[in-house]
Amino acid sequence: MKTRNRLRHLVASLTVSAVALSGSVLMAPMSKAANVELTMYSWRVEDKAFYESVIKDFSAANPGIKITFQSFPSADYQTILMSAMAAGKGPDIVHVRAYGALDQLVVPGYLSPLAANEVKGLNKYPVDALNSQRGFSDKRLFGVPFAYQSLGIFYNLEYMRKAGIQLPPNTYPEFIEQLKKIKAAGLQGLANGGSTHIEQMWGTIAPMFYGGTEFYNDVVAGKKTFTDPAFIKSLEAVQELFPYMPSNATAVSYDASRALFFSGKAAFFMGGIFELGYFRNQNPKLKFDFMATPPMSKGGKQFVSTWADGGFGINAKTKARPEALKFLNYLASKSFGAPFVQTVAQITAVPGVPIRDRQLQKAVSSINKWGTPYIMLVGFRYKNPTGSALLQTGIPNMLNGTKTAKQVADEVNKGVGTWFGPFAGKI
Amino acid sequence: MATRNVTRYQRPWIIAFITPAMILTVIFTLVPAFTLLSYSLYGWESFKRGDFVGFTNFERLSNFPFRGDFGGAFRNNVIVFVTLFLVQTSVGMILALAIYRLRRGKKLFQAIVFLPVILSLVIVAFMWKLFLDPLFGPISSLALQFNLPWLNQPWLGQPGLALFTLIFIGLWRWVGFPAIVFLAGMNSINEEYIEAARIDGASEMQIFRKIIFPLLAPSFTIVAILTFIGAFEWFELPYVIGGVTGQPGGSTTTMALLFYRLAFGTVDSATVDVGLSSAIGVILFIFVGIGAALGSYYLRKREIQQ
Amino acid sequence: MSAKFSKAKEHAAGRTPFAPIDIFLQGALVVNALGVFLPIIFMINSSFRNGADIYTSPLALANGIDLSNYRLVLTEGKFTQYLLNSFIVTASATFIVLLCGTLAGYALARYQFKFNTAIYLFFLAGLLIPAKLALVPLFIQLKNMGLLDSRIGLILVYASGAIPAAVFIFTGFIRALPADLDNAARIDGASELQVFSRVMLPLIFPVTGIVGIYSAIPIWNDFLLPLVFIRDTSKMTIMQGISVFFGEYGANWGALFAGLTLAALPLVILYVILSSQFIKGLTAGATKG
Repeated sequence: MKTRNRLRHLVASLTVSAVALSGSVLMAPMSKAANVELTMYSWRVEDKAFYESVIKDFSAANPGIKITFQSFPSADYQTILMSAMAAGKGPDIVHVRAYGALDQLVVPGYLSPLAANEVKGLNKYPVDALNSQRGFSDKRLFGVPFAYQSLGIFYNLEYMRKAGIQLPPNTYPEFIEQLKKIKAAGLQGLANGGSTHIEQMWGTIAPMFYGGTEFYNDVVAGKKTFTDPAFIKSLEAVQELFPYMPSNATAVSYDASRALFFSGKAAFFMGGIFELGYFRNQNPKLKFDFMATPPMSKGGKQFVSTWADGGFGINAKTKARPEALKFLNYLASKSFGAPFVQTVAQITAVPGVPIRDRQLQKAVSSINKWGTPYIMLVGFRYKNPTGSALLQTGIPNMLNGTKTAKQVADEVNKGVGTWFGPFAGKI
Repeated sequence: MATRNVTRYQRPWIIAFITPAMILTVIFTLVPAFTLLSYSLYGWESFKRGDFVGFTNFERLSNFPFRGDFGGAFRNNVIVFVTLFLVQTSVGMILALAIYRLRRGKKLFQAIVFLPVILSLVIVAFMWKLFLDPLFGPISSLALQFNLPWLNQPWLGQPGLALFTLIFIGLWRWVGFPAIVFLAGMNSINEEYIEAARIDGASEMQIFRKIIFPLLAPSFTIVAILTFIGAFEWFELPYVIGGVTGQPGGSTTTMALLFYRLAFGTVDSATVDVGLSSAIGVILFIFVGIGAALGSYYLRKREIQQ
Repeated sequence: MSAKFSKAKEHAAGRTPFAPIDIFLQGALVVNALGVFLPIIFMINSSFRNGADIYTSPLALANGIDLSNYRLVLTEGKFTQYLLNSFIVTASATFIVLLCGTLAGYALARYQFKFNTAIYLFFLAGLLIPAKLALVPLFIQLKNMGLLDSRIGLILVYASGAIPAAVFIFTGFIRALPADLDNAARIDGASELQVFSRVMLPLIFPVTGIVGIYSAIPIWNDFLLPLVFIRDTSKMTIMQGISVFFGEYGANWGALFAGLTLAALPLVILYVILSSQFIKGLTAGATKG
């Protein structure tokens, strides 16, 4: 009985190795044709066509690997991704966000950590970018960074001329002056609405009031809290802009305020450089430009809220990690970075990709000169309630007149204080 | 008596007839309901169950920072129920009486009144979200064109206003339901009572007040109970319009929304909390169950006294 | 019942005297009709316009019938797929509800066995349990059963949610039917299944229509369950699909209105044809008869 079994084993293993041998020698092209199908999830519904073309190029170079790209509306993305991962399904390749929202996937072990040598050129990425793809307590790397973002002001000079304004503002007070002038002419100054996306508008001007990176470092170290007068001032600055927002601004949705700007019906839109490609696509005829938030006085200190936007990670449960890794390598190369800049008009994280777009160049140079962490996204989205969530409910309440800036700051402080260690005993 | 005792031959048939319905109900309704109860007593790390924690999750609901959310959501559900019930019963009653007294076109108007009821709440919510857009929506342009400042409001942007706007949308979609239920109640009233009253010289108003209205008590019971259950499970409207965080400023958060948000997270909220979410589910469960039972008991008692 | 009903109607039609209040009441009906139709007309009108036009003048009329928004919705918006999925899910779930509901209702109404009352109460309790609240356990349970992201999972959950009410309505209806008919069939040698299918089914046929509508409409209109259970766009239902579409095409109002119109269309058409059955079906349980 036993010998027979052994014999059978021997025969079996011989056959297997024979088949393997003949396979590797004779049927080498066949193994390549053995199709692997991967899926990828992303929140960039705006860039769907671009990613599909990237995948097409990749598949042409790597026959046998097929990737299906699925995008979900940004607002629902995290929810959809989380429950898919929890269900043990989820995509093989995950477009992940950075910092706190990434940590949400890291903690339950949904993502497969990346070793430094697994992705070529990863060591050339700046440390800040790589750090955005690490967990809060788990410091391994979980994604290949994909883009940098910064906040600034989009402006439509043609529209501004209707109010007799010829040049963009050089200082912040001048910016307010121009808004006044536009309003007096019966025109629309700011396109921004006052709903959840108000955090971006706040982030565009806030660092100038709370003092940029210095304040950030102090808060992260627990030396200062959000009840600091400088922080409260940054909230009051939003209130000051309220009269120049559309009427009933607190009910204006993100989509509607973007539409107001790209349809040429407002002078300014304060937001992320990532809108560049979207505005161009939606209205190719619109002439607009992008600028960093101007300083308080000529030659004064300038700040630009900046963050690494997210990355490409691998599902811990994927059955095709080598193939997914291959795609990640592609996404970390210039073959991705160059068209990403060209087509999507965003700032790629791939090192050494030249940026020729004038508006993107402006954003890049402003990041290099004046970049400061976009405070809530970078530092305070790790636990519930997040700093962002508290601001996104707090600021609209301030604009509605139900809360003062101080009350909003208190709430942010108290909420973040429930989980943020350095605040212990300070609230 | 239609039922009869079972012969041995019939027993397997009965089992075969009942089993499919029983199995489905047990697996997909009863088991999840009991599991929910147990979930609320455990700690959770994402969707992985942790240690048994007793009533800790319920305690956490009554402390900072969840106390505010939970209390606010509960208050909102109460407001939704009270407002919906008051407005929809009175408007529904007017529409029912109007159709009841029509000489021609009863069927047509019945169909018109009921039409929004068949539309999905998701469709209704998205439709009104576009209508109420302050920049490009028809309502604000009507307000501007005809100079109606009262119509030009941040309907969905002002806490305090937004919830009532949602209730209005809910009414638009649902008021046909009580109207038809009342109408059915009116139609089942014996005409002879009314004729007799008319012959005695009662006015039409008196007939409504003294005869029709009191006899509609069973319809009120049904409408009240259904509104109660519906109001405490309010989800689609706030979800579509105010988003999962209940914008503006959390003012449209309902318990079902909070329950969903805690179970499945939000854009930037870092953690999901199945334990807390289940605790809310259990509370809602008990609340809706007891409320419906008490309501139906009390209202039925009143009906009998009438 | 129906004789009395029509007599009452006759009375009302012939005799209700005109009162001043009728001016107010009929005015209310007209206002209500405007309130129902204007939004719907506006929606349809806007679905033929392009986004930029709507931004400039929201209230203007469409320049003729331009179907390009609909083309976008059906192809890029995947509405064909969504509508098909909704149809498959609703039809299958409703079929299961009717099958299980009639069988169980028949057994409970016609046979007096040991656990009859207990089982009846069991279904009554099932009526009180809202599936919505057991979302998380259901999610985990479906995950373990491999039924997430599957139409079958949706179908089973929907069916089980509607079965208790169906059993309830069928039991009540069958109890009211005379027993002579099925006894006569039994004497003629029919099996229990034959008694059910040949005698009972034709008798309860009108009620199946009502229960069918009562079960099917909420399933067709539901949003929450697919929101949680379905991720794969090829399996999404129309109500979930429309929310995805709103996320992707948020700035294209013409397409949004076309999507809404298309999503509402199937039920509205059915309603126009079968309005009284719809009304009876959806208010079943809330009204007698």
